Amino acid sequence: MKILLMGHPNVGKSVFFNRLTGANVIESNYSGTTVDYTRGYMSLDGKEVEVVDVPGTFSLDPKDRAEEVAVAMLKEAKDAYVICVIDSSKLERGLYLALQIMEEGYSVIIALNMDDVAEDKNIKIDNQKLEQVLGVPVVSTIAIENIGISKVISRLKDAKPVDVEDITVMRAGMNHCGRCGRT
Amino acid sequence: MAEKNNFVMIGIAILGLVTVAFGLADILVSVVGDGTGLSIIEIPGDMFRGGWGGLIVLFAGLFYLSGCKNVAEVHNASKVVIGSVLIWIMAGTDIFAMITESIPGGEEGPWFNSLSGFFGTYAPPYAPAIFLLPFSLVVVYYILKQERAR
Amino acid sequence: MKLNPDERWDLIDSIARHVVTYGEYRHTLKDAIGELTVKPMTGLPIAIAVMYCFWSVFGSFAGTLCTDGFFVKLFDGYWLPWLQEVFPGKGGWIYSILIDAGGMTNGEFILSDNCFEAFGVLTSGLFVAIGVVLPAIVIFYLMLTLLEDIGYMPRLAVLIDTVLHKIGLHGYAIVPTILSLGCNVPAVTATRILETRKQRFIMMTLLAIFIPCGAQLGIMEEVIPDLIGYVLLYLVIGYFIFGFILNRIVPGKSPEILIDVPQYQKPMMTNVRRKLWMRVSSFFKVAVPFVLLGCVVVNVLYLVGFIQWLGDLLAPVFVGWFGVPKETAGPLIAAFLRKDLAVAQLSVIEMTQYQMLSAVVLVSIYFPCVATFAMMLKEGWKELIGSVAVLTVVVFLYGGIIHLIGKLLGVA
Ligand SMILES: Nc1nc2c(ncn2[C@@H]2O[C@H](COP(=O)(O)OP(=O)(O)OP(=O)(O)O)[C@@H](O)[C@H]2O)c(=O)[nH]1
Ligand SMILES: [Mg+2]
Repeated sequence: MKILLMGHPNVGKSVFFNRLTGANVIESNYSGTTVDYTRGYMSLDGKEVEVVDVPGTFSLDPKDRAEEVAVAMLKEAKDAYVICVIDSSKLERGLYLALQIMEEGYSVIIALNMDDVAEDKNIKIDNQKLEQVLGVPVVSTIAIENIGISKVISRLKDAKPVDVEDITVMRAGMNHCGRCGRT
Repeated sequence: MAEKNNFVMIGIAILGLVTVAFGLADILVSVVGDGTGLSIIEIPGDMFRGGWGGLIVLFAGLFYLSGCKNVAEVHNASKVVIGSVLIWIMAGTDIFAMITESIPGGEEGPWFNSLSGFFGTYAPPYAPAIFLLPFSLVVVYYILKQERAR
Repeated sequence: MKLNPDERWDLIDSIARHVVTYGEYRHTLKDAIGELTVKPMTGLPIAIAVMYCFWSVFGSFAGTLCTDGFFVKLFDGYWLPWLQEVFPGKGGWIYSILIDAGGMTNGEFILSDNCFEAFGVLTSGLFVAIGVVLPAIVIFYLMLTLLEDIGYMPRLAVLIDTVLHKIGLHGYAIVPTILSLGCNVPAVTATRILETRKQRFIMMTLLAIFIPCGAQLGIMEEVIPDLIGYVLLYLVIGYFIFGFILNRIVPGKSPEILIDVPQYQKPMMTNVRRKLWMRVSSFFKVAVPFVLLGCVVVNVLYLVGFIQWLGDLLAPVFVGWFGVPKETAGPLIAAFLRKDLAVAQLSVIEMTQYQMLSAVVLVSIYFPCVATFAMMLKEGWKELIGSVAVLTVVVFLYGGIIHLIGKLLGVA
């Protein structure tokens, strides 16, 4: 089993990685800190699991060498679990990449990181609803304070490939309800 | 309330003018050459502390002046804060330099400085920024209090 | 099923509408201050102050406190005399290489009286590595780490964006540039955040040529405090002139980017401590062996007469074209291994102020150190060959220009 940490630059992937594996990857407050991948190991139910800190990327269409590395890492590990780290205060941007990865058929789990920042900005995200719509586990985290990280790991088992078609159907359902006024 | 605002505005404006004057003095003195002292104020005359540093003191003054008009408003308040931060940078680096000078015992002396030598390093004259430091702190204290009240 | 980008954005829009609620958000003082640091009119003065702070603290801590305050005393007053005393075989080969090459005055062997002149592996080598470079690197990385964690770097990138566009890069190129001031090696890897090969090539070449590393800054601050400002000025001017030229002649694109500016944050001390430790220790794993090796190589080459021979051979170029004494041949060989060592060795050669200035600039722009070289090779051999070609031209051209400027000013 292999876990990839993916997401936009500067969302806290390296913090996640260091907390999970006890490694010392550099974390900084700017995009593009990590430009190469790092492998590490953590134990899960008594088994060694490989975790990879992947450079940040905006999409699966790489724009620079660091993003090329990221996309190559994903393509290389077809059966990997992907923890998609998203900056909660920029949910929409983050979901774009998450959807792309889900479309490729990966088992995704979404970590809505920087929950504290979103709270400061008065942005509220309904996790349960998001989980329902996307069909993948969604967990709020504050990586630097080690909040929610173990929850992400405990929910790994719920991650499974999803067909985006189901999401579109789900959305159609939501719209429908919106139009006919409740029920 | 309006009266209090006026009072604050005049205070910051004066601080700004004094700061600008110090900055200009720093720059002029370093362009001319040697540093000069007026009893307890020492105007550094080298290109680094006087020229570059003087420019920063000048900027600090300009920040104060451009922000003093209505500090109740966030954008003006932020300019005043930045003015103070620049003063802190100047005063802070000066004080840090004094600290680093005060600890070792000098080329011929023992490993560590004597107590009198240690304190002697901190005797005046000081650079202008150090005199501006207390005022810059007061101003920022006032603004933070105002921000918290909101 | 796969979506096209429009469908994806539509889907995201409708999902977001259902799950996200945006509360009221007030513009706070913190935001207003943040804005001031990126607007050019107010941001530039702040950037100037930040650089001042950086440099001032660097000099006070590394120079005044550590090196001059304690290490010079330790190495010159205790370490060197003790080694000179107890090490057997004064005047022999081993002694010269490890401890003190000394000097022959009137046929008499005279020991050196400070660690700059001794040239030995255990004396000069250790002194440069530990007495001068270690404090410089520690304080440099401490401040860099603070700037990084606060989130100032992307702001600096926004501020300098327009200028860097002129040399085919964009604001974000400030990240590798500043990392390079610590050590060129990680900076070469950091060029990966640039979009095109052209940009990466320009950046890597400029780094290798014009950016002095932290070790070199530390030693310059120590041995030529009065000249370091001019050295840096020459390097900055060179960075922009040759960047401008490279942008014209290197084929390829320089796309625009949108710089992402994160929130300001309070740095976490645990992270700062960890990062500082990692960087300093990895720097030293590379630096110390090379400094020591550099001492050995240069000493051996001196002893077998190679450096004198090379100096004589290159004398016309050195003296005529660059306007520096032919003895600089030795430091230039050392510079290939470590630039800090080279500057230390230059400092004991007798020459005029302007010659010293030219020689130090030459050492900086001449070949990057081996570690950087290896790193560039890893990023692509074609780029490396290109960079070396540019470098050769630059060294001759710029070296000559500096000599010419000195002549025109009447100081060379
Ligand atoms: N406030 C807050 N800050 C966080 C949180 N998680 C991470 N950070 C900060 O976000 C910044 C970026 O973290 P990194 O882990 O370096 O980001 P990254 O995703 O690895 O970024 P790249 O390597 O550039 O792709 C750091 O300054 C962290 O301290 C969080 O939950 N809350
Ligand atoms: Mg990272």
